[in-house]
Amino acid sequence: MSARAVVTAILLGACLQATAGTLVAHVVGKDGMPVEDAAVVLEPLAGGAGVRPVKAEIAQQDREYMPYLTIVPRGTVVEFPNRDPFKHHVYSFSPAKVFEIKLYAGKAAQPVVFDQTGEVALGCNVHDWMEAYVLVVNSNHYAKSGTDGHAMIGAVPPGRYSLRLWHPRQRAEAPAQDIEIGADTRALQLVLDVAPRVARPKPPPDAEDY
Amino acid sequence: MAFHSLQHRIVVVFVGLLLLVMTLVLLLVRHSDERIVAAEMERGLDAGSVVFTRLVEHNSAALESAAALLAADFGFREAIATLDRPTMRSVLRNHGLRIGAEVMMVMEPAGPVIAETQRRGDPHRFPFPDLFDKARAEGSSVGYQFMNDGRLYHMVLVPVLAPKLIAWVAMGFPVDDRWAATLSQMTGLTVSVIRREAGQTMVLASSLEEEQRVALAAALAAMPDGKVLTFNRERYQTRLLPLGSTAVVALQRSLDAAEAPFRSMQIALLVMALAGIAVFAAGSVLFARHIASPVNQLTAAARRIAAGDYDEPLPTLAPDEIGALARSFEHMRDGIATRERKILKLAYEDALTGLPNRTWFLETFATLPPDAPAAIAVLDIDRFALINNALGHPVGDRLLAEVGARLARVVTAPALVARLWGDEFAFLLRDADQATARAFAETLLAALHAPISLDDQRVDVEGSLGIALFPADGRDATTLLRRAELAMSRAKCTHAGYAFAAEVNGEPPHEQLSLIGEMRAALAGQEFVIHYQPKLHLPSGRIVGVEALLRWQHPQRGLVAPANFIPFAEQTGFIREITPWLLERVAEQTALWHGRGLSLVASVNLSAHDLLNPQLPEHMRLLLGAHALPPDSLCLEITESALMEDPDLALHHLSQLAALGLKLSIDDYGAGQASLAYLKLLPVHEIKIDRSFISCVTVSPKDAAIVQSTIQLGHALGLSVVAEGTEHAADLAWLRQRGCDIAQGYGIARPMPAQDLPAWLGKYTPDIPAANPPRLLRT
Repeated sequence: MSARAVVTAILLGACLQATAGTLVAHVVGKDGMPVEDAAVVLEPLAGGAGVRPVKAEIAQQDREYMPYLTIVPRGTVVEFPNRDPFKHHVYSFSPAKVFEIKLYAGKAAQPVVFDQTGEVALGCNVHDWMEAYVLVVNSNHYAKSGTDGHAMIGAVPPGRYSLRLWHPRQRAEAPAQDIEIGADTRALQLVLDVAPRVARPKPPPDAEDY
Repeated sequence: MAFHSLQHRIVVVFVGLLLLVMTLVLLLVRHSDERIVAAEMERGLDAGSVVFTRLVEHNSAALESAAALLAADFGFREAIATLDRPTMRSVLRNHGLRIGAEVMMVMEPAGPVIAETQRRGDPHRFPFPDLFDKARAEGSSVGYQFMNDGRLYHMVLVPVLAPKLIAWVAMGFPVDDRWAATLSQMTGLTVSVIRREAGQTMVLASSLEEEQRVALAAALAAMPDGKVLTFNRERYQTRLLPLGSTAVVALQRSLDAAEAPFRSMQIALLVMALAGIAVFAAGSVLFARHIASPVNQLTAAARRIAAGDYDEPLPTLAPDEIGALARSFEHMRDGIATRERKILKLAYEDALTGLPNRTWFLETFATLPPDAPAAIAVLDIDRFALINNALGHPVGDRLLAEVGARLARVVTAPALVARLWGDEFAFLLRDADQATARAFAETLLAALHAPISLDDQRVDVEGSLGIALFPADGRDATTLLRRAELAMSRAKCTHAGYAFAAEVNGEPPHEQLSLIGEMRAALAGQEFVIHYQPKLHLPSGRIVGVEALLRWQHPQRGLVAPANFIPFAEQTGFIREITPWLLERVAEQTALWHGRGLSLVASVNLSAHDLLNPQLPEHMRLLLGAHALPPDSLCLEITESALMEDPDLALHHLSQLAALGLKLSIDDYGAGQASLAYLKLLPVHEIKIDRSFISCVTVSPKDAAIVQSTIQLGHALGLSVVAEGTEHAADLAWLRQRGCDIAQGYGIARPMPAQDLPAWLGKYTPDIPAANPPRLLRT
């Protein structure tokens, strides 16, 4: 299925909700190529209603964080399940949320509450190449761009919003822009200067561990 | 410098060749050593450079690892994330201590310094922007940087990730002497870090000693890119590598140290070569001496032989080539000695008598000391010609040999007896004065007195001795011999047995040789004149003829006697020109006299040369015709010796001359050796008795006897007899009394020019003897 077909399908679906608008953003780099893992957030300008926390999970599997980027509303509790047969040590020195969890294999861990907006960079003290990002936002309208660079935010009540674009490897922060969301679907082309993801050296898995 | 000695040449050539070879070997060794050292130096520097570069890379990697390790430390990251500066500094110090880093800093991702070990104070930016840019671009960076303390640091800059970049951590290791020493140890090269700035060259760190660094800085300043630097009297092969952007590393190796083992080897080789040359030189000297010594011995022997010393035999040498040469020399010495004895015998001995000859005599005289008196005596056997004629030459020779033997017995060394020629012997008496010489003469004559027997025939031998004393009578052998001969003639005349030269008049100067060349000019210049000596007919007392005598009126020498130039004219053939002239003049003069009524017979002397000339008779005929002369008005005088040169031809010509009607006369009769048998055949009209007999006729009974018998012989053969050299009235009277036909001599008249003759004749009183009536002349 082509990207155009997907966009058409999303637009058709949005037309069914007559009282809510939909934003479809296409995030590209300076070179015009689609950018994955970009966060597109709509924050209501007019004193938005209370933010509802959601459930989220960042797993450690195959010595990687899954997923790479997680966008959560403020107050969300995030689970950190360890699906590897060895220990991980999740930490964050980000001001928005400083914490560390020593995760033992197969052992349930205490979830972490992200009650402050901001960016949180997660590392593993045991595996230097493991990284993940959590963007804590003061909104429930957000989306993460896929491999094709598309991010769709649906069921957005019509009104004025501040559109924020963020990426963990962005070279410079894109300025927020005001946007009017109606009952229809709005498509936007967004450009962000993002550094390419540099794969950090990762040793091959130890056979004994499996 | 030329070497004339074989020994020197051998030594010089051998030692010189060895010297040349050794020099070449040493040069070759030196050259190849230099090449080996150069190659080894290059190789060492190459390897050292590679090691150095690798070590520096390794250091950088290690430094980076250490920094990365620090950057990954959870506590450190936590301290940075929480901006916990005291913790950060504490960690930095702890870590720096652990890995030996002197400089450690933590920077914000954008650059400002958060914490550092160097100083505390205001925040500032990381001081090495280029290093920072490089780290941002490449993740991390390593480089060599100067800090503001003027020192050079090996800096590493790594990110601190959590997992996003939260900071940079920088670590610096000082590039100091310890650093240089460590690298020097590992590379095997001296390591110096050089800073070149604003025309100044500084050594920042080095494995060299302090004083060497100063020297190195100076050398590098002088030669910025020098491959070989010399400082502190040592040469260093140098390789320069950049260290960071502002510093340079000089990697060096001492050439002198590398060459040292080769040097000592070369010195050992040189010592060996010199020792070898010394041994070789000594060996060559011995060898050359071994060769040259026999050669020198041979040379000495050859010199002795050259000097005439044949007595010493040659040394016996080793049986090699030179020994063979010595043996050949020995044979040569024998041969030369034998031949020289033979040659000396031939040269110095008279073959007939075995006595020394004239040469030996003259040479012995020459060896006499110039101031010692000596005497030379000449002995002539009396009447030897007669003995020879009477008994024949073989007997004459045997007689001479016998006389020689007898003389040899009488004369004892150091006196010397020699045979000069014919029957003439000479004696040399050393240290002899007149008395000694007189005693010797008497002894000698006494010894000769005893008769000699030859084939049972007794021969009485008598001799006359003339003695000349050195130096009174002359200083040279020739003069002394001639004067002794003159004295001998006197002794013979006087029958005194011996006479001294001092008693006889001195001789005329002999200038003959120089006269020869002048004779031709003399003939043309009319220097020759003819004098006429009257001939007295004894029985009648009248002048019947004249003898034409040639005189040479020399412009400088005055009158030259015929005896002093005629013999040479005969020898040179010039007589052929003189005689026709003489004959012409005489014929002319005779014709003139005849015209005036003076009927004189003119005698002309002919030489042997003239007599044997086949044109003579024809010439005479023409001459007589030309002057209309009666043939018998000319008389040709021929000496006995002239006849004897070719008796047959002489007889032939004389017959022709006689046929013309010319008168013929035999001159100097008795002095020559013509036999009576031959004389008998000759168509002559007169004989002239030799003046030597006439001069002594009144004192010597023997001469008187000879003259008397000769007159009788002449008359018996129908010849007219003429006596020459009559000087005294007594002689004249004696001759007249004995029946001599004609006399001639100073006693009658000296030779005179033609124009004086008529006057002389006019004054001449005819010497007519009262007792004896004049005899008729056969002519």
